[in-house]
Amino acid sequence: MYSGAGGGDGSMFAGGGFMPSQSQANDFGGGGGRRSGSQNSGLLPLTAKMISQAIQKPSDENFYVDGVDVNNVTLVGMVHDKEERATDVSFQLDDTTGQIEVKRWSVLLTLLAHHSPWNFTYVRVHGHLRSFQGKRNIVAFSVRPITDFNELTFHFLEVIYVHLSNIRAQGGTAAAPTHAATAGVGPHGIATIATNPSHYNQYLPPASAMVGGNVDECQKRVHMIFEEPESLLIEQGLHIDQVAQRMVGYSRQQVKEAIEFLVNEGFVYSTIDDDHYKSTNA
Amino acid sequence: MTDTCNPRPMVNAGLLKKYLGRRVTTVVKVFRSDGADLVGQAPDGISITVRKAASSSITLSHFVEVVGVVEGESALRAEICTNFGDAFDMVTYNQLCQLANCDNRDCFV
Repeated sequence: MYSGAGGGDGSMFAGGGFMPSQSQANDFGGGGGRRSGSQNSGLLPLTAKMISQAIQKPSDENFYVDGVDVNNVTLVGMVHDKEERATDVSFQLDDTTGQIEVKRWSVLLTLLAHHSPWNFTYVRVHGHLRSFQGKRNIVAFSVRPITDFNELTFHFLEVIYVHLSNIRAQGGTAAAPTHAATAGVGPHGIATIATNPSHYNQYLPPASAMVGGNVDECQKRVHMIFEEPESLLIEQGLHIDQVAQRMVGYSRQQVKEAIEFLVNEGFVYSTIDDDHYKSTNA
Repeated sequence: MTDTCNPRPMVNAGLLKKYLGRRVTTVVKVFRSDGADLVGQAPDGISITVRKAASSSITLSHFVEVVGVVEGESALRAEICTNFGDAFDMVTYNQLCQLANCDNRDCFV
């Protein structure tokens, strides 16, 4: 099976409560139970800046951040310009990186008044990312005041953690840090990031530790190619040669074996002939 | 689009000089607070001075978040002060400041 990346850190993210159950077959990178590029039903901690940079494909309504499609999101920030209307409450959420509009439809007016956030208070927002007339906003289903401000620190650290996990799962080298950014490790130090001198290596599959680690890496990368949104759109899928062309450093035979493995596991299937394959996720 | 033209990055004292004249956010452990000024310890342990907004008159807790403009290498002019209570982990916040300003800037600034 895929070599588990992140040394078990995936469980940190799984505690969010919205993640699909982490079966062995789904354990994939530091993201914790979610295959990159496929339907994400988990929860993404984000900042306003990341939302402004999210990609929206013209063909669908989904947003993509770090290659992962955005579904449920959570943000933490300060409330500004709160407006209460009969139908909803809306405000600007300032999370130090920028401001984004958050709207929460009212359920019961009395309930809402009790839970209504005040200006200049910090809140935790859970909701969906939407776009209206070109402007991005959050439709929130939960707006909760922050009582322990360590939650602020936690949220931004989680944002960094998930951001790096998703980039690693994409196999990208972007944003890989070149030095230990944190000087000194406090007692509450960010253990998984700060203490390890080669700290970001732990997000890579420990190839040397696994038997045939190279094979796992090959399978993972081939799988990722099939899971890309562009690949999912092609009706007959991808030809083995197309995949092999992209798998620099691996032989065609290795790619063929990786595909056979993926077929056996039910992740891809053959389409028009024995050389064309497509992800079962499409 | 979300409005990201006026961010207020989280900083410690060491990062203040990088943002001279710009709006930042930091948490201060209050040593002393009189009418106009507040003296406290930034997340990295360095002492800084905060010039309070004229209108503010709230009682400050042990830890206060200050959003304001950097006036000097260890001076801030506060716009918003928020009480962060008496139990706030400055060490982790300091590491967050470093992470957010160095390698992971693309998520923040």
